[in-house]
Amino acid sequence: MRIAFTSTGKSWDSIIDSRFGRTEYIVIFDEETKTLELVDNSAVKNEAHGAGTATAQKMYEVKPDVLITGNGPGETAATALKNLNMKIYVDAHNLTLEQAYESYRNGALKEI
Amino acid sequence: MKEIVVLSGKGGTGKTSITASLAVLAGSEAVVADCDVDAANMHLLMQPDFAVASQFYSGELAEINQNICTQCGLCSNVCRFDAIPFQNNKYTVNPLACEGCGYCQKVCPTEAISMKKRKSGYVYISNTKVNSTMVHARLDIGAENSGKLVAKVKSKAKELAEHQNKYFVIVDGSPGIGCPVVSSLSGASYVVLVTEPTVSGLHDLERIYSVIKRFRIKAGCIINKHDINPQKTEEIIEFLNRENIVHLVSIPYDIAFTEAMTQAKTIVETSSRISQKLIDAWNKIKEEAAKN
Repeated sequence: MRIAFTSTGKSWDSIIDSRFGRTEYIVIFDEETKTLELVDNSAVKNEAHGAGTATAQKMYEVKPDVLITGNGPGETAATALKNLNMKIYVDAHNLTLEQAYESYRNGALKEI
Repeated sequence: MKEIVVLSGKGGTGKTSITASLAVLAGSEAVVADCDVDAANMHLLMQPDFAVASQFYSGELAEINQNICTQCGLCSNVCRFDAIPFQNNKYTVNPLACEGCGYCQKVCPTEAISMKKRKSGYVYISNTKVNSTMVHARLDIGAENSGKLVAKVKSKAKELAEHQNKYFVIVDGSPGIGCPVVSSLSGASYVVLVTEPTVSGLHDLERIYSVIKRFRIKAGCIINKHDINPQKTEEIIEFLNRENIVHLVSIPYDIAFTEAMTQAKTIVETSSRISQKLIDAWNKIKEEAAKN
């Protein structure tokens, strides 16, 4: 399984970015190869509007099996993500990616 | 750090007056962010010193290189915003009408049109009259607020709060339910809703709460001017109970609000009976925000 995180930084100890659309980075953890992959999303800062749909578009390129994030995507981004076969887990605020992954494994995160 | 966002949905409910009161009560405990940038007015009450200013760019603006332009008029024809009039024997872009869509650039046969970044205003970092830091912005004429600007103001405020070891960021949120509001909300710890007992007050409260609920952020509500329509106030309280929103306080209508405003003061800086209500509300907000 490939697990994506919205992240404020580039590493396993970075804190989850609560925002979906304007997340700084998308970090993907591959459970099989135990490797991290990084998608820089900081260009979204330049989007005056439509950050949610721009990041949703990115998710279609990345195609993870699971997304772990904070507030979760807003209405429009959530609609755009419907056709992507990806589970979304939320409320991982203030956790490091590692802690968020543990919480997900223990079933402590809420799926939407 | 707790980020407290104040929202109302409807204008005129007293959101900014109340946010400024909370900011005065919090004093140097909080960094303040004014994200109601379209008609920013919190500075009138907080009296910031505009210490640090930086230019803010958002969106694009078409520019015609007159040396290459053959005056074919294609750009003017395709522009949906009538932003390229023919004046003084040349086509020029009206910056107030240009939406930056780039259609003109696409059709120009001589590549005379380029899209430039548009300066849309300034972002300020200030010291306020209560010795706190405030991040705010001023838009140029015709410029609009955006999720981008709100995100910038908020991230600067959070960065400063972390740097100064402050426990609270108090955000005066944007109006409506659109892009700037979503940007105001994301990452928030607690939302304070300010409403009034009118038909549109309740309608817009329900509407804004549907957005907050989507992001699963806890909220409390201040009913301002509660005595102008006791029946609507009852309806609002029913709604709050149904949605598990904490009823923080009800504030009666009082001319003292306006009197304070005309002296560039918040109500908590006067001897009005309302002061205590806002002190109670702030204590309750701190308590609620600490829970998550």
